[in-house]
Amino acid sequence: MKAAIRVEKLSVSFAGKHVIRHLSLEIASGGPTFLVGRSGSGKTTLLRALNRLNECLPGCATSGQVELRLGEQWVDAYAATTNVENLRRRVGMVFQSPNVLPLSILRNIEMPLKVALSLPADEAEARAEQALREVHLWDEVKDRLSQAASTLSGGQQQRLCLARTLALRPQILLLDEPTASLDFKAAQRIEDLLLELKSRYTLLVVSHSLGQARRIAESLFVLHDGERIEALSKDVFQDRDALFSVMDELI
Amino acid sequence: MAARLLYCAAAVSALAVLAILAFLVYFSLPLFQGDQLAALFSWHWRPLQNEFGILPMIAASLALAVSSMLVAYPLALGVCCFAHGLGPDWAARPLLVAVRLMSSVPTVVYGLVAAFSLVPLIRGASSGSGLCWLAALLTLAVLALPTIVLLLDNQFQRLESEIRLTAAALGLTRVQEMLQLTLPLSSRGLVMAAILGFGRALGDTLVPLMLAGNAPQPPLSLLDPMRTLTAHIALVVATDSQSAAYNSLFACGLILFLLTVLVNLGLRRIRTGATAHG
Ligand SMILES: Nc1ncnc2c1ncn2[C@@H]1O[C@H](COP(=O)(O)OP(=O)(O)O)[C@@H](O)[C@H]1O
Ligand SMILES: [Mg+2]
Repeated sequence: MKAAIRVEKLSVSFAGKHVIRHLSLEIASGGPTFLVGRSGSGKTTLLRALNRLNECLPGCATSGQVELRLGEQWVDAYAATTNVENLRRRVGMVFQSPNVLPLSILRNIEMPLKVALSLPADEAEARAEQALREVHLWDEVKDRLSQAASTLSGGQQQRLCLARTLALRPQILLLDEPTASLDFKAAQRIEDLLLELKSRYTLLVVSHSLGQARRIAESLFVLHDGERIEALSKDVFQDRDALFSVMDELI
Repeated sequence: MAARLLYCAAAVSALAVLAILAFLVYFSLPLFQGDQLAALFSWHWRPLQNEFGILPMIAASLALAVSSMLVAYPLALGVCCFAHGLGPDWAARPLLVAVRLMSSVPTVVYGLVAAFSLVPLIRGASSGSGLCWLAALLTLAVLALPTIVLLLDNQFQRLESEIRLTAAALGLTRVQEMLQLTLPLSSRGLVMAAILGFGRALGDTLVPLMLAGNAPQPPLSLLDPMRTLTAHIALVVATDSQSAAYNSLFACGLILFLLTVLVNLGLRRIRTGATAHG
């Protein structure tokens, strides 16, 4: 197993209150690796610690070490020499609730490409189309690309956000409950998509659905109150009864 | 019961505004008849010779409001951009605290400080008394700055709470976020802050009264004294004057009133535009 993410004694606190304490784990490349746990156990905070997004929130303090394998190189995420914008582009994150920018559908994808990657317009447009095709949204939006992204349905917005992240060509993809706010059919599409993406990205998925984890996870972690993280072996979480008995204590 | 009270309050304030308008119209109506009007809209205010032209005051009011906005607005925008990502994080908070403090200082204090610091400076550098358009302009700019900054800051904060994390997750720097998202997306708020600031500058009385020199003449040079509509009304009411002079004040009041209404209509247009476009 080749590791892609190494977390060493990570602690994150907001306004002095610890959310994650002395957490260490190692996540394999590829995946998908699933992360489950009670709501409020710090799953989202853990994801945000990997691409240093917690820094954008008021009152946050982080200590410990996060190393990420980007390309063939290990990068110390919190080193002073690490370019944080570059890091965030390469460790893409899709939020739990769709966070489209108040721009058009096309601009949502193109703007970061043009601004953060300085791509010329035609290349940005080509990449946007490719990303929209990848998330199977192209046919639904190709005639309304200049409409506001907020006019899309929840499921479409979620796929747009995924496309926007994919277009930046990250190496690691963090997905925070990608199907939580979706109906069954939309969730199904995202699940299919994860299976397609897993060959090309290191996927770390926070999920509230054990059934989903059982269907597509390669490995699974259970986070307890931000303090203890438990790796479940594949034969445990593939076995429905064993999985549910482990999870019982979570609910 | 509460609703009824609110209706009463609304009716009273609407009536008060209408009454003021009716009052102003009633008293200035005689002036709008016959050759009186030409006399009113002349460039000469010489009460002793029965000339009551208010054009110099109208021009001065507009010139002062526009010029002070030309100084204050870019400064305020710069302060806001600095506090929202273009400058270092540690500087943002003290800067906004200082601006908030500025907004709570009474106008007359600004006037006083300017009279004893800015005015002598201008007097030393030019030939006049130092009481002039420039002195009032700079002081008014300092006075209007916090209003504009706080409005813009509010707007930026609301927008940033929505886009900050997303922009960061996409690898945008704070500067890119400001230039590509925050500024373009708050264009409506930018215009509103400009209009409100203009209204504030137009309506201010103390600063031009204390610093602009109050000579009723067209504003042709920054170093010349000028007299605004507001200062004009205050001066004529406060000094012993003939009743004929009083009459022209109502025209001044009416014009100020109408200008303020225009400013408010402009704001309303932008606001309703905002809700119409979601
Ligand atoms: N920006 C923040 N400011 C303060 N507290 C926060 C912030 N984000 C998360 N928390 C706190 O951290 C804890 C874990 O939150 P989160 O990581 O969102 O959990 P999960 O994703 O597992 O539901 C919660 O108690 C929450 O209140
Ligand atoms: Mg969460």
